[in-house]
Amino acid sequence: MFGTNTRAVVAVSLSFFFVGSCSTTFAELRDIIDKQIESGWQANSVKPVERSTDGEFLRRVYLDLVGRTPSYEQAVQFLDDKDPNKRTKLIDELLADIRFGQHQSDIWDMIYFGRNPPGYGTDKRKGFQDWLAGHFNKNTPYNQWTEDILRANGNTVENGAPMFYVQYKGRPEDATEAITQKFLGIQLQCARCHDHPFDDWTQKDFYGMAAFVARLRVVDIGTKNKEKAYSIGEMNAGDVLFTGPAIEQVPGKKGEPVKPKYLGAEALEEPALPEGIEDPRNFPNGKEPPKPHFSRKDAFAAWVTDPENPYFAKAVVNRVWGQFMGKGIVHPVDNLSPDNPASHPELLNALTDEFVAHNFDMKWLMREIVNSRAYQLSSAGGPAEAKPLWYERARYRPLSAEELLESWVVATGYNEMLLANGQKPEESRLSVKGVTWDYVRRFFGRPNDGVGDFQGGLHEHLYLNNGQVHSLISTRKGGLHFELLNSEEPWEKRVERLFVQVLSRRPTDTETKRFTEHLSAEADPRRQTSEAIWTLLTCSEFRFNN
Amino acid sequence: MWNICPRHEHLSRRALLKGSLFTAGGASISNWGSLFQSDLAAAEVSKKKKHCILIWLNGGCSQFETFDMKIGRPTGGLYRDISTNLPGTRVCELMPNIAQRMDKLTVIRSMRTSQIDHPGGIYLMHTGYPRAANVRFPEMGAIIAKYCGEQDTDLPNFIKISSQGNAGAGFLGPKYHPFNLDRDGRLPTFSTSNLDEKIEMRRHGLRDFVESQFAEKHPADPARMHREAYQRARRLNNVQEKFKVDAEWEKSRERYGDTKFGRRLMMARCMVEAGVSFVEVGQSGYDTHADNFTGHKALLPTMDRAWSGLLDDLEERGILDDTLVVWMGEIGRTPRINNRSGRDHYVRSWSTALAGGGVKGGLVYGESDKDGVDVKDNPVTEGDFFATIYSALGLDPEAENFSGVRPIPLAPFGHNVVKDILA
Repeated sequence: MFGTNTRAVVAVSLSFFFVGSCSTTFAELRDIIDKQIESGWQANSVKPVERSTDGEFLRRVYLDLVGRTPSYEQAVQFLDDKDPNKRTKLIDELLADIRFGQHQSDIWDMIYFGRNPPGYGTDKRKGFQDWLAGHFNKNTPYNQWTEDILRANGNTVENGAPMFYVQYKGRPEDATEAITQKFLGIQLQCARCHDHPFDDWTQKDFYGMAAFVARLRVVDIGTKNKEKAYSIGEMNAGDVLFTGPAIEQVPGKKGEPVKPKYLGAEALEEPALPEGIEDPRNFPNGKEPPKPHFSRKDAFAAWVTDPENPYFAKAVVNRVWGQFMGKGIVHPVDNLSPDNPASHPELLNALTDEFVAHNFDMKWLMREIVNSRAYQLSSAGGPAEAKPLWYERARYRPLSAEELLESWVVATGYNEMLLANGQKPEESRLSVKGVTWDYVRRFFGRPNDGVGDFQGGLHEHLYLNNGQVHSLISTRKGGLHFELLNSEEPWEKRVERLFVQVLSRRPTDTETKRFTEHLSAEADPRRQTSEAIWTLLTCSEFRFNN
Repeated sequence: MWNICPRHEHLSRRALLKGSLFTAGGASISNWGSLFQSDLAAAEVSKKKKHCILIWLNGGCSQFETFDMKIGRPTGGLYRDISTNLPGTRVCELMPNIAQRMDKLTVIRSMRTSQIDHPGGIYLMHTGYPRAANVRFPEMGAIIAKYCGEQDTDLPNFIKISSQGNAGAGFLGPKYHPFNLDRDGRLPTFSTSNLDEKIEMRRHGLRDFVESQFAEKHPADPARMHREAYQRARRLNNVQEKFKVDAEWEKSRERYGDTKFGRRLMMARCMVEAGVSFVEVGQSGYDTHADNFTGHKALLPTMDRAWSGLLDDLEERGILDDTLVVWMGEIGRTPRINNRSGRDHYVRSWSTALAGGGVKGGLVYGESDKDGVDVKDNPVTEGDFFATIYSALGLDPEAENFSGVRPIPLAPFGHNVVKDILA
């Protein structure tokens, strides 16, 4: 489908890579990553910081893989483990943890929908989120579940996948931009109104892609499990009309129909529509729409997710790399343009080729990245940037709203408190008594601006200083506050417990001294204990995954 | 201009300085990493402390129903024009109060901008630049907060009340990020601390210790931003009273018109008086693809009354000369009236207005052709418009900030300041 030329180019660059920069062809990907990153340091005279401490690594990898900080017991177990392979062991455990799928689903759901999708039921997408979490846990190859998203069979409640198109109801141009950007890392939005000034894309390219999705309709098929369910219908006929550059458009002028054409490749060959087939004006509500005689959408889904598509695998490895390393090898991760070169082009090629060779195995890719030396560097020292250019220091990433709430619950021992008092924690991890998810979402839901830089302003501190976090610091039996207050141990030991439970590390001597002073200043240390917990919950070290 | 006595003034100042020392240690040219250096530069660029109020007409107000009427032409619309206190200049009958204050206004009838959709237009008319994949341009409010604002202050320097725009401070960094009041111009939820002052100080002392320990070994920007934002949130406690304006509103209701929008504009005046350098106030609903005429009839009288009230109020208080009032939306509307009595998006020829500090007043600049289809003379692009606003505030539009290593001037390269309208 992509012609022989592309394959030849891929093969050449691959062999060049193995001959040129890798001593053994059987090297694991993590070794290739280390080599490439190290040669980047050398070539640019950059000195990396030290390896992360166990505490730094522990907190980072928990947050990155399962979306919350470790419990006190989990932290102590890891910190005291003498096994030199304990990091690799922990990574494998977390990849097998049931929460892995949930957390990855949180992240990828944001990629596909963002915080504020446009409606038509897209604000309630549990069907989609659970479906995605399942695929991450089962480790379904990436190309398979993305093809399902683009084929959009079934309905939004029972399978979830069609939800992606629902958000672009009646807006095929927006769907085209989103698909090329999210799945292929290509930004076509400029070509919507004029030929792209830097890239090769023309308006014809844009509308050639839009033609694949222009026949889709969102059909309300009724209520299932008390929720509105949608399916995606496809008409047999209907074309995108191209009226020329926006600046030359004249009211009333009809455009030329544009045939579907794959981006940077050939036009779609589609069978002629047999005579006598007529589309309804609209698909009636309440029932599954019929299949079209020929589905452009399915041909499109197969093309996008084809292992030989030169953009598809590259876009996703770059995105996953960015997810863990803070910044894509091409950054922003969804702009793989010749105008926006890669920092480590050979590494990007190696990741892409290996990922395809490993059959789009996401857990494998993530495992290799988090086992690399660059991922496991410290976050202390180094340059001021949040995401150092040559990966010479660990990146700073603000915790998402979900990660924050889940980690607050772990850090305060909130669920243990409920259990100790004969109550059950809420079934949904985001329903926590005393903390309104809508507020957490509002104050922490979009910690980054459009290109992934931290934008936290004073609003979030108003919430932390004056808002509901306090209700998690419960004084009842089982919670951290109670445990600290009622422990028989010396304050120094209790301060250690506090630090390990909230920050996943042991305190320094200075910290132990200062906190012990604070906690033992008065006969009744209840308030001081709350203050100490609040301090660690709201400090920079907690706010970021670093 | 404002004399509040912050509760912990000496403490918060000291804490702020302490926080900034870490900054100086990790100084680099990237982004807003070198706040101190650029603060010095800011002092040079800014000649005098000025203020700016932006009245944002969200959706795009029609020039044909406000300042550029085409009476008797097919594009003219339903309304009549009325005379103003500026001889020879006529405006729409929906703005009788503004008509009597045209001597204070500079109207530009020859805007020609580049972004015709809402998201693109909103970004463009907040930053002066079209959206770009790799540069996060700051909004005008952030720039004015940086160059005109008090650096050591308890109040945020960039306040938004019920308005649009999501570019924020961009590469200028969170210090200049907008602070959003709620729809009525009140402080948002959780803004007020209920802690006893002594306890708050004790808690703050412990937290400050933790942050200092972390900062010593971790020079990374996000942690510093987090510390600075915490300081600002804390300092907001010192100025809670500034946001309680119920009594003031009772006195001003008549002047601004008894509307929510009127109250927001009065709040803007209160904020400017308290020392805030930039306040943006939004009025929504101008995107009249259908029923353009009823739409504007519903919105403009409210706007007319409140805007006039604001100008009078600023003048009476003697601060109009130091306060530039900008009136604009993201786009204009089409000459052609569509089959739903609506007007669509149009950026080839439209209108904006300025008043107060730095501009002449009593002036209509530029002209559109007889049907309002195109600019007849003196076109003003977004770059020209932003450069003129910055010049009116005493700022050099060519002053540069850095996005990474790339220098970015305040107003886009190739602009022309419209000198004719500067005072």
